[in-house]
Amino acid sequence: MSSGFFSRWADSFFRRGEFSVTVPVMDGPLRPNRLLEEAQVAFRLDAVDNLTAAGGTVLCSSGPRLLSWTPGSAEAGELARCDSVISALASEPGGAVAIGLDAGGVIIRGGRHDGHMVGEGRLTCPTAIVFLDADTIVVANGSARCRPSEWKRDLMSIGSSGSVWRVDLPSGEATRLADGLAFPYGVAPSPGGRVLVSCAWRHRIVSIDTTGREAMKSVLDDLPGYPSRIVAAQDGGYWLSVFAVRTQLVEFVLREHRYREQMMAEIPVDYWVGPDLTSGQSFLEPLQGGGIKQMGILKPWAPARSYGLVVRLDAGFNPVASFHSRADGHVHGITSVCEIGERVIAGAKGPGLAVEVPLQAGELA
Amino acid sequence: MNSHTLTRLRYTYLPDHLIGEILSKRWIDNAIPVLTLALIIAVFGSVIGNFFTLGSIGNISQQVAELGLLTLALTIVMLSGGIDLSIGSIFGLAVLATLICMNALGLSVGVALLAALATGMLCGLINGLLIGYLRLRAFLTTLVMLIILRSVYEIVFLNFATRIVSGMPQSKLWDYLAFGKIYGIPAALFITLAIALVLHVILSRARHGWHITAVGGARRSAYNAGINVRRTICAAYVWSGGLAALAGFIYAARLGSAGADTGAGLEITALTAAVLGGISLGGGRGSVAKALIGTISVAALSSGLVRLGVPGPMNSLILGTVLILAVFVDVRWMKNKQKILNTVYMSPAYVVMPKAAETAVGSGSPYAVNDKLREVDAIGLGILEGPEDCVLDRDDNLYCGTRHGDVMKFHGPDHKTWELFAHVGGHPLGIQMDRDNNIVTCVGGMGLYMITPQREVVKLTDETNRSAFSIIDDSQLKIADDLDITDDGRVYFSEATIRYNIANWPMDALESRGNGRIVCYDMNTKKTHTELKNLVFPNGVCIAQDQQSFYFAESWGCRLSRYWFDGPKKGTLQVVIDNLPGYPDNINRSSDGHYWFTLMGMRTPSLDLALRMPGFRRRMARQIAVDEWLFPNINNGCVLKFNEKGEILDALWDLGGQNHPMITSIREHKGNLYLGGISNNRIGRYKIPGADPNWCALDARWGKS
Repeated sequence: MSSGFFSRWADSFFRRGEFSVTVPVMDGPLRPNRLLEEAQVAFRLDAVDNLTAAGGTVLCSSGPRLLSWTPGSAEAGELARCDSVISALASEPGGAVAIGLDAGGVIIRGGRHDGHMVGEGRLTCPTAIVFLDADTIVVANGSARCRPSEWKRDLMSIGSSGSVWRVDLPSGEATRLADGLAFPYGVAPSPGGRVLVSCAWRHRIVSIDTTGREAMKSVLDDLPGYPSRIVAAQDGGYWLSVFAVRTQLVEFVLREHRYREQMMAEIPVDYWVGPDLTSGQSFLEPLQGGGIKQMGILKPWAPARSYGLVVRLDAGFNPVASFHSRADGHVHGITSVCEIGERVIAGAKGPGLAVEVPLQAGELA
Repeated sequence: MNSHTLTRLRYTYLPDHLIGEILSKRWIDNAIPVLTLALIIAVFGSVIGNFFTLGSIGNISQQVAELGLLTLALTIVMLSGGIDLSIGSIFGLAVLATLICMNALGLSVGVALLAALATGMLCGLINGLLIGYLRLRAFLTTLVMLIILRSVYEIVFLNFATRIVSGMPQSKLWDYLAFGKIYGIPAALFITLAIALVLHVILSRARHGWHITAVGGARRSAYNAGINVRRTICAAYVWSGGLAALAGFIYAARLGSAGADTGAGLEITALTAAVLGGISLGGGRGSVAKALIGTISVAALSSGLVRLGVPGPMNSLILGTVLILAVFVDVRWMKNKQKILNTVYMSPAYVVMPKAAETAVGSGSPYAVNDKLREVDAIGLGILEGPEDCVLDRDDNLYCGTRHGDVMKFHGPDHKTWELFAHVGGHPLGIQMDRDNNIVTCVGGMGLYMITPQREVVKLTDETNRSAFSIIDDSQLKIADDLDITDDGRVYFSEATIRYNIANWPMDALESRGNGRIVCYDMNTKKTHTELKNLVFPNGVCIAQDQQSFYFAESWGCRLSRYWFDGPKKGTLQVVIDNLPGYPDNINRSSDGHYWFTLMGMRTPSLDLALRMPGFRRRMARQIAVDEWLFPNINNGCVLKFNEKGEILDALWDLGGQNHPMITSIREHKGNLYLGGISNNRIGRYKIPGADPNWCALDARWGKS
């Protein structure tokens, strides 16, 4: 262990290894394309979030509103309105819907436990929910310090206070399955009584035992972006939404403590150096060298403050295909994805629209 | 004292940008050899009591005379990219030739000198033919020559040994060479120094010397430049042979006899001296001064070791170790110098920006964003690339530069047809028309140029006076940027930065130091001088209506200033606006007696914060790629109008930057405003509501023609 400590210290001194500011290259199955950019718009909805397949329809949220969209229709219809902004959604075949609230707590609508409010005081930052069965949900609690809408502050404080909870709905009893996670932002059931959890700030996906007997293990590391919601695909494997990609500048700023502290103290959050769900809204946003327009054109390879990315994983958690919207595009900030029929619906929270992509698109021959 | 004060003091008073500038000088290569020599002298001077006495120095200088010539011989060959290991053997043969002439045959000194030189140059010619023309490897060829010539020496020496020893030449000149002194300097050393001086002139000033250095530096490039590479290399070996022979001649004069091992091993001593002096083994880098420094180092070292009583073999061992060390340092230095330079040259300054003026819609600020520029016509769309500035003549023809180094002419009044007006060769930035309809333009990387109506391109100036205490040569104009012309024919133009060329402007932005200046060129006297220094990326220049002052913009400083060059306020500098929300660029007059200027980009809070943290910027520059750096946001800009009081009268924005991502210049002409942009592919034309449709900038400026 001592040599490990020394080599870590040397790495941090020379800023190499895990201390370097390099980011993984998008290649192979992650090779950039324009599938999201050129995809057909399914519907437009401000701040569309957490698309969830429920029977033949898709549930989603927009601010405090819960909506439902039927494939083929031009817009989503409102089902309900909550007191607080909705930060997470899950549904189960019995018709129950679990709604995470930005103000904290998870409320159940429909089904056996209609009207139950669970996790108040504990689930302060519900970012993703999944039903294991009609009586049990697993909730990802992004951070102990910030609300879901304050995710940028959590990233810039190098937050790793997130946790994952199993909640028994009849009793309301919550059991902590893991903590010390760097902003868990997605949760999906996985075979063998485990759940997959995406840890956004650590750019990885871990597998957690829901019975609490086995230790947590990492199944996919070194993602080139910040993973968000993850859902099971119908023919095995998973769909992973990546809400922004990592850049050298952000990795660098994360290692510059004084700059980060001053930035958080002085600058409005929209103009911080950091990833975002959408960009180019104001000239006060930071600009990086590659982002200079030449002859009126923004290069697609420019360092991306916001980006659109959906990754298809196989059952062994290996990326096999991906859909992109690059720096010059606008379908950015994909926070959720769901599969319905022969299509994948990706929700771009940044520009407020959902696009549909054919299932087989982007797979390597 | 808080940490901000400390940071400010540290970055204000520690001039760390000078480190990079010193490292960028060519003479910095001499630093290590000079330090080594100083170290050797200091060590032996303190260990050996009488190291500095006359006798000791005389002994060393005698050695320096012979070793110096040998080192110079090797230097020329190494400069040409080769190596000559046979100089020791040539030296021996020359000693032999001299002694045969003097002692055995009783010939005169002159004949002996010629014989020695002929021997050496012949051997050198053989080397040169083999290596230069037959393209054999220098190392192997001269190693073989070393052995062959040594054998020749031994065979000949056996035949003449007795006659050499018994002969006693009677020649005053001969004795003088050995023992004579000129102003206390041994004659031999005098000869060596004289030859060194001649060689210095040849290597540093003459065509032949430059050819040798060029061939050693980059053989293929030298060939492509038309240098006869083979002949040059061959000549280097002839030089080497001749100089080695001369060293042998002096040696013969001093000792008057020879032994079986005369000259053996001298090539290693000379090689040590050359490498220790900093003459690169890779070729192309070296000088006579370096050779002499190396020679003195080795002579002092070996003489010191002898006087310390170090036995001969040990002495050689130490010299060998020194050679290895010198080679190591040479290789590492060559490999890493540019790397070090790249990391230390950029040196960010501590800058606290004043709070930026508000730009939000509905804020009531004169800068408030609008979309007045949405309806702008495009001129030359798809034809132009990078028209930084434009100018219109009295017939409404529009002239502008492109990044291909051309000045284009668009025919008025509709500017639909165009022609190539003149090819300048560099990217024309600021552009003006003088009283006689000549186009005067600042060309990036080239200087101030004029294009006459007959399309003749004339260089006005490309240099100014060099500052007294600048380390880098600041006489060359690197980024001449914008200009204006006074009534009496003085051209005031800005040079954005003296530390970077035009492609590296982002580095200057990251530095945000006062690297720029305003220069004056007088068309009457054809003289150039620097008027204002230490400006932060000075950009637009515009002569004020009073004809005694000009306005200028400092881009990274986000301010407009006014400077009086004539009249009662001559020499006064006054800041007009200092809290601009963006980076100002060109300034030009408007038809209502005020001034237009542009913001080529907007300040971002994140970069303003970084400006207060020089260390952050320095680490950013070192650790991440340029494309990832925080940049000034030059994807959005606007056009502003101000009056002499510094009040903003109008603001024209293109919200979203669809038509004009960046605007670097404006020109009002007959009711229209023409917009240039250095990274745009068009010129914009905006109809100014209520502007005088007959106002022509040239008429207003120079009077009707």
